[in-house]
Amino acid sequence: MIARLTIPLLLFIIAGTIVVNSCRKSGGERKAPTPLSLKIPEGFPNPAYNFGSNPLTEEGFQLGRKLFYEGLLSKDGNFPCSSCHQQFAAFANFDHDLSHGFNNQFTTRNSPGLFNLAWHKEMHWDGGINHIEVQALAPITAPNEMAEDINNVIRKLQNHPRYPGLFAAAFGDKQINSQRILLALTQFVGSILSYNSKYDKVKRGEAVFNDAEKNGYAIFQAKCNACHAEPLFTDLSFRNTGIPLNPFIKDVGRMRITNKKEDSLKFKVPSLRNVFLTFPYGHDGRFVAVRSMLNHYSDGVQNDPNVDPLVKNKIPLSNLEKFYLEEFLKTLTDSTLINDKRFSQPE
Amino acid sequence: MKGPLLTKLQLLMASTAIVSSLFISCKKDYSAEDVPVPPVVKDYNLILRFNAVVDTSRLEFGKTYRNYFRESYSVSAFKFYIHGIEMINTDSGKVFRTSADKYFLVDFTDSTTTILKLSVLPYKYNRIGFTIGVDSARNVSGAQTGALDPAKGMFWTWNTGYIMAKLEGNSSSAAGGKFEYHIGGFSGPDNVIRKPILLFPFGETIDMKPDKVSEIIVTANISNWFYNPHDLKFSENPVCTTPGPLARQIAENYSKMFTVVSVRNE
Repeated sequence: MIARLTIPLLLFIIAGTIVVNSCRKSGGERKAPTPLSLKIPEGFPNPAYNFGSNPLTEEGFQLGRKLFYEGLLSKDGNFPCSSCHQQFAAFANFDHDLSHGFNNQFTTRNSPGLFNLAWHKEMHWDGGINHIEVQALAPITAPNEMAEDINNVIRKLQNHPRYPGLFAAAFGDKQINSQRILLALTQFVGSILSYNSKYDKVKRGEAVFNDAEKNGYAIFQAKCNACHAEPLFTDLSFRNTGIPLNPFIKDVGRMRITNKKEDSLKFKVPSLRNVFLTFPYGHDGRFVAVRSMLNHYSDGVQNDPNVDPLVKNKIPLSNLEKFYLEEFLKTLTDSTLINDKRFSQPE
Repeated sequence: MKGPLLTKLQLLMASTAIVSSLFISCKKDYSAEDVPVPPVVKDYNLILRFNAVVDTSRLEFGKTYRNYFRESYSVSAFKFYIHGIEMINTDSGKVFRTSADKYFLVDFTDSTTTILKLSVLPYKYNRIGFTIGVDSARNVSGAQTGALDPAKGMFWTWNTGYIMAKLEGNSSSAAGGKFEYHIGGFSGPDNVIRKPILLFPFGETIDMKPDKVSEIIVTANISNWFYNPHDLKFSENPVCTTPGPLARQIAENYSKMFTVVSVRNE
């Protein structure tokens, strides 16, 4: 008899406890997001962006990661950020001079690899974006890229079964606005670092260059390092490297932003990290291989008063030197970056 | 068997009551959070009201007007950023500055945004000043929210910066039939940020009393966009959507579009 009474009683007590606990859980004691910190690789300078006003958290990073791979950010659902920024290509667009956007359109510039962006003060080939947090608005709204209105993006995410909860986990409540979308994307994209290539391992004393790589590094330091400065392999400046104007796209580069004649055909110096993954090269992807880029500097530089003094007399490079340079540049491929599951498409 | 069965039923009912009460108390907590507390006191004592006009008549969107050069046009969008509102007494030299960090987007297609509620030190004032535009710091500090949310459509995505003032519409004098003035630029010679200071009508002062609300009505006259000191014709310049000399000229024109038409105390 006692047993027959005890069982239902216990069941009720258990049920009651569950109710109380579930109530408490949703009623206010929300789990605070787990803080993360950006690991600054050995030998790197201080980053331009340090997540000071956008505290890096696991939940914010994961939300940004999901958004980066999210088709809903584009008008027809087909163009997430990852459509032009593929992890296996160091987040550039593999084997595309220009990329594809909404309604069978081409972009006007070569998609750059995305890594070590926290060190960049200005984004885009022309530096038109002055802050990493607002960069994503450009591809999202460009009619030939993702072609969407930010208010539509917000609506679509609000009506999605999972996003309100993910925003609550990252930011404390379910509100979705442009700022939160941009901050989350910045947490993901700004966390993508490249610092584990063979070059880095050599620098840390964990590996050694072979003879060809060593020769290539010496040539690199003598002839390339002034613009492609270590350890980022870019000095982040804008330069006219004697690449003639593309007669169809007519992209004048930095001048489009500054309206200054002297900025005509200046483009941002790209990082050479992962360069063997990010072909083709140049702001419009006109150079199909590293060798064609090197040939441009040794033989092709256009004669124009605006060309950077460092390249206007061309860079003398023999075929053997080009071979050594290529062997060195291959050591900048970071297989850790392209295989890192934290940066891959979430399930 | 009768006794224990009753006990069992009683137990069941009691337990049900306990569990239900848990649900109820839980629900109660929720609604308590959701009910907004009504404000006890007004958190403002000055209303700044903007009215859009074309010369002497109130702006009607879609209605045809003529500019200084007899070109006909109609307006479909008219908005601008305001911040750093200052109340000034030029006799005593006192200036009361409201928070320079509080931005307002005055959008005449949304009348709720044209009434700015401010809290200022009650005093006698005879001028009002404000900044039209978005300070350079806010143009370079990343993702913003509130009035400065890029989703408000006053933000250039490809060349970072805020559109400080926007006037759009149709004109048969414009090639393509429409005009679009998106005025921005925050650095160096491209800076279009302006700080008009406005007199009150007939040399009036506003004598604010504690616990009373005062009101200032300011008109923004679209006609001023098109002349003085720079001529702006739809036939010549129907579009200005980048920072530069033309944007600066238009900003110089529109910085003179404001007039205080009335001040009154409650």
